[in-house]
Amino acid sequence: MVERALPVVQTAGLCKTFRDFWRRPRVEAVKDLNLEIHPGEVFGLLGPNGSGKTTTIKMLLGLLYPTSGRISLFGKAPTDVAVKARIGFLPEESYLYRFLVAHETLDYYGRLFRLPSRIRRDRSERLLDMVGLRHEARRPVGEYSKGMARRIGLAQALINDPEFLILDEPTSGLDPIGARQIKDVIRELGNKGKTILLSSHVLADVEDVCDRVTILYGGQQRAAGDISDLLCQRDVTQITTPPLSEETMVELKALIRRLEQRDVLSVSHPRVKLEDFFLRIVEEAQAANIRTSGARRGGQVPEFLQKPTETATHDVVESLVEASSRKTQPLTPLEPPPRRARPEPSREVLDELLGRKDTPILRGPPPMGDLEPVPPPADHSNIKKAADRSVIDDLLGGDGRKKHEK
Amino acid sequence: MSRIWAVARQMIAEGIRMKIALVFLVLIGAVVLGLPFSVAGDSSLTGAVQSFMSYGLSATGFLLGLLTIFMSRSLSDELVHRQIFLVMTKPIQRWQYVVGKWLGITVLNAVFLSCAGLTIYGMVHYIKRTHPPIDERYDEAELNNEVLVARHALPAKLPNFMQDAELEYDRNVEEGMYTDVPGFKPDIEKKRLAKKHESRWRVVGPRDRRIFEFENILWDRTHKNTIQIRYKTEVSQYPPDEIFRAVWRFGDPYKGTPVYDAPVRHVVGRFHTIRVPADAVAEDHTLLAHFYNQNPFEGERQFNNVMEFRASDGVEVLFIVGSFEWNLVRLLILMMCKLVFLAAVSVLMVTVFSFPVACLTAFTVYILAAAGSFLGDALDLESVDFASMFSSAKEFLVQSIMHAYNLLQWIIPDFGRFDAVETFVNGRNVSLVWVLQATTELVLVKSLIVLGLAVLLFHRREVAEVSF
Repeated sequence: MVERALPVVQTAGLCKTFRDFWRRPRVEAVKDLNLEIHPGEVFGLLGPNGSGKTTTIKMLLGLLYPTSGRISLFGKAPTDVAVKARIGFLPEESYLYRFLVAHETLDYYGRLFRLPSRIRRDRSERLLDMVGLRHEARRPVGEYSKGMARRIGLAQALINDPEFLILDEPTSGLDPIGARQIKDVIRELGNKGKTILLSSHVLADVEDVCDRVTILYGGQQRAAGDISDLLCQRDVTQITTPPLSEETMVELKALIRRLEQRDVLSVSHPRVKLEDFFLRIVEEAQAANIRTSGARRGGQVPEFLQKPTETATHDVVESLVEASSRKTQPLTPLEPPPRRARPEPSREVLDELLGRKDTPILRGPPPMGDLEPVPPPADHSNIKKAADRSVIDDLLGGDGRKKHEK
Repeated sequence: MSRIWAVARQMIAEGIRMKIALVFLVLIGAVVLGLPFSVAGDSSLTGAVQSFMSYGLSATGFLLGLLTIFMSRSLSDELVHRQIFLVMTKPIQRWQYVVGKWLGITVLNAVFLSCAGLTIYGMVHYIKRTHPPIDERYDEAELNNEVLVARHALPAKLPNFMQDAELEYDRNVEEGMYTDVPGFKPDIEKKRLAKKHESRWRVVGPRDRRIFEFENILWDRTHKNTIQIRYKTEVSQYPPDEIFRAVWRFGDPYKGTPVYDAPVRHVVGRFHTIRVPADAVAEDHTLLAHFYNQNPFEGERQFNNVMEFRASDGVEVLFIVGSFEWNLVRLLILMMCKLVFLAAVSVLMVTVFSFPVACLTAFTVYILAAAGSFLGDALDLESVDFASMFSSAKEFLVQSIMHAYNLLQWIIPDFGRFDAVETFVNGRNVSLVWVLQATTELVLVKSLIVLGLAVLLFHRREVAEVSF
C-alpha cells in the first residue's frame, strides 16, 4: 500500500466569526470548512464576493486567527516561521512600499528570508526579467500602474522559491498578456510539483489551471472535487474521434437513429462552462436562503447614474475616430511607443525556480509557433479600425500610461 | 538579528524617503544654526554660549521626541495599508518585527542626535570666536573654566539641625512650654525647631561670619590647579548699587594649608564663582571657607545688612573632572535614553491604536514624563490629608486613583530626573553614574517592559482584522 504524502494544507471544522467592539458576533465569515490540499496540486478556491475565500487564505497565513477549528500547513501551525519560509503569497492587491524601488522591494523580502546577498541580487534580477520590469527596476513602486505592481507582487511571492504558493486574485488588474503570463507561471510551477492555492473570480483562469476546486458560499463549502468530475455532464455522451468522412458520419447517425430511435447531431460528453456551474451553485445557495455577509446579486443601476452625461466621452471618441478615419495613410507614431512590460515569462527564471538547470536561455523575441505574419490590410476599412483603436488608446491613456496611475 | 535589522533598515529608508525625518532634520538644523544669531543671553560670551546650548539642546530634545512619535506611524501605516500582510507571511517572528521598528526609530534618533550634537559643538566654537568680547581675557577664561568644562560639585556640609532642635525641644519640655498646647505633636515641633535653626544658620548678620566646610574634594592639590567656589546671596535690604561687600577666606591653618583671602564686591542675587588655588584643600580632602559680612561704611552710608545663603541656591565647591567634549557625549546619551523609552512607548501605542489615537497617547506620555515631578507636586495625590478629606465610601475610589497614579508614575519615568541640559550648560559634570542610572532605568528596565508589552499585544493582534 502506497503511503499518501502529508497534505500541504489541512483544515478541520474551520470557523471564523468577526465580532464587534463588545465582542458580539457580527459576521460568520467561514463556517466549518474542511480543506485538504495535497502536494503538487493546483487548487482553486472559488466563491462570490464575501464568501470567505480571502478570510480562509488569511487564516492559512496566520494573518487572522480561527474562532474555532484547526489549520495545519506542512503539518505545523501557520504562524510557524519554518512554515512561512516555504510559502509564497500574492495578496489580492499589491501591498508594497511605495517609496522603495522594485529592486529594494525584492531585496527587503529576500532579507526576511535570510537569503544571502548574492542570491538576493541574482533572484531579484531574474524575477524582474520574468515579470518584464527589469528596465523599470529603479523606479519607486508607488509610481507603478496597478498591473506593474501586481507583477512585482508576483515576483516577491517567488523570491524564496516557495513550495506552496498562495495566489489571491492573481490576474486582477493585469492586462490579458499579464494574466496569460500568470497562468503560464502557475501551469509551469504546477507541472513541476509546486503546490498552488488559487483564489480567483476569473473562472476561465481557474478552469484552465486548477486540478481541484472548492466553491464557497456564505463561508461554507458548497462543492468540491476534481474540475473534470465537477464539470462533466453524465446524462449525455461525447465521442471524440479523428475527422470522419461524410459517409461514415451518415452511417454513424443512421446507426444511432436505428438503435436509439433518435436523431443525434454530435456524439460527445460536452462540458458546461465553469462559469455556468459556479453560477448554478451560487443560485442554489441563494435559493436555499443561506446567509452571507458578502455581495448578492446586484439590482438595477441607481437612477442618478442612468442619466446621460452632458459631455459624453463617447461623443468625443466618435468625433476623433471620424477625423482619424479620414486619413488615408497608415498611422505612424510620432513618438516612440511607451515601453511595455515584457509579456512572456522568462523561462530561464522559471527553470531556475523549478530546479531545471540545463534549459537553454531564450534570447530575443519569443518564438511565434505556427502563426504566419499577417499581411497589411488591403482596404481602408481595416485601417480605420486600427486608427480607431489607437485613438481610443490615446484617449484612455494606453497601457504605457497606466504606469502613471496611482 | 538579520530580520530585525532588515525591518529597521526599511524603517529608516521610509523615514528618509517619506521626508518625515528630513523635515525634522531641517527643523533641528534651522534651530541649531539659527539660534546663535537670535539669542544673546546676558550679552557676555558665557551668557551667549549658555543660552545657545540651553535652547539648542532643549529644542533638539523636543523635536526628536516629536519625530520619535511621528516615526511610529510607519507601523500604523503598514497595518492600515496592509503592507504588513506581506511582511507577516514571511518567516519573521512578530517580536522581531516590533523590535525592528523600535530599532529603526532608535537608530534614526541616534544619527540625528549625533548630527545635532556635532553641530552644537561646532556652533559653540563659532560663537566663541565671533562673539564681541566685553573683556577679552576674562570672557574667554570664564567660558573655559565655568562652561566648557565638566565640573564636579560638592555642597557645603550642613550642621545637624535636628540635633540642635532636639536639644532645644528637651529644654522646652523641661520648662513646661508644651503642657497646655492642644493637639501638640512632638515630631512636628522638632521639625519646626530644626527649620528655625537652619534659617538662623543661613543668615549672616553685619560684622558676622559663617564657616562652610567641604569634604571629599578628591582633586590634585597642587598650587597651579584651582578649585571654584560658587555661591549666591540675598540681602534683607538692597544696597543702592546692588553690590554687596564681603571677604572670603579659604584654607585651614590648623591643617597646614595656606590661607587665601578674597575680598569681593559682587552683585546681589546672582551666582558668582571664585577661583581658589587647590592647595587650600587640606590633605584629608577638606576645605574650610569663611565668609565675613563686612558691612562696611562708605562715607556715611552703611551697605550690607543681613545676608542670606538660601537653601535652594547653596554654596558649592567645584573642580574640573572632565572635558567639555566627553560631557557633551554623556549628555547626548542621557537624551538618547529618553528617546529610546519614548520610541518604545510610541511602538506600543501603534500596536494597540490607530495612528491619531496612538500619536495623542504617546504625546501625552511624553508630556507626563517631561512634567512628571511638577505634576507629582501639583496633584499631591500621595498626601494623607487629601485621602482623609473623603468619607470612607469614597476613600476606596481615592485609594484606587492613588494606586493607579503610583503605578503610572512608576511606569512613566520622570524625565526631569534625567534632564542634564542645565547641568551641562552650567559646566557641571554629567556623571557616568547618572548615565548608567538612566540607561538602566529608561532603557534596560522600562523600555524593555514597554516593548515586551507591545510584543505581547501585537502577538495577540490579528493583523488582517479591521480596526479603527
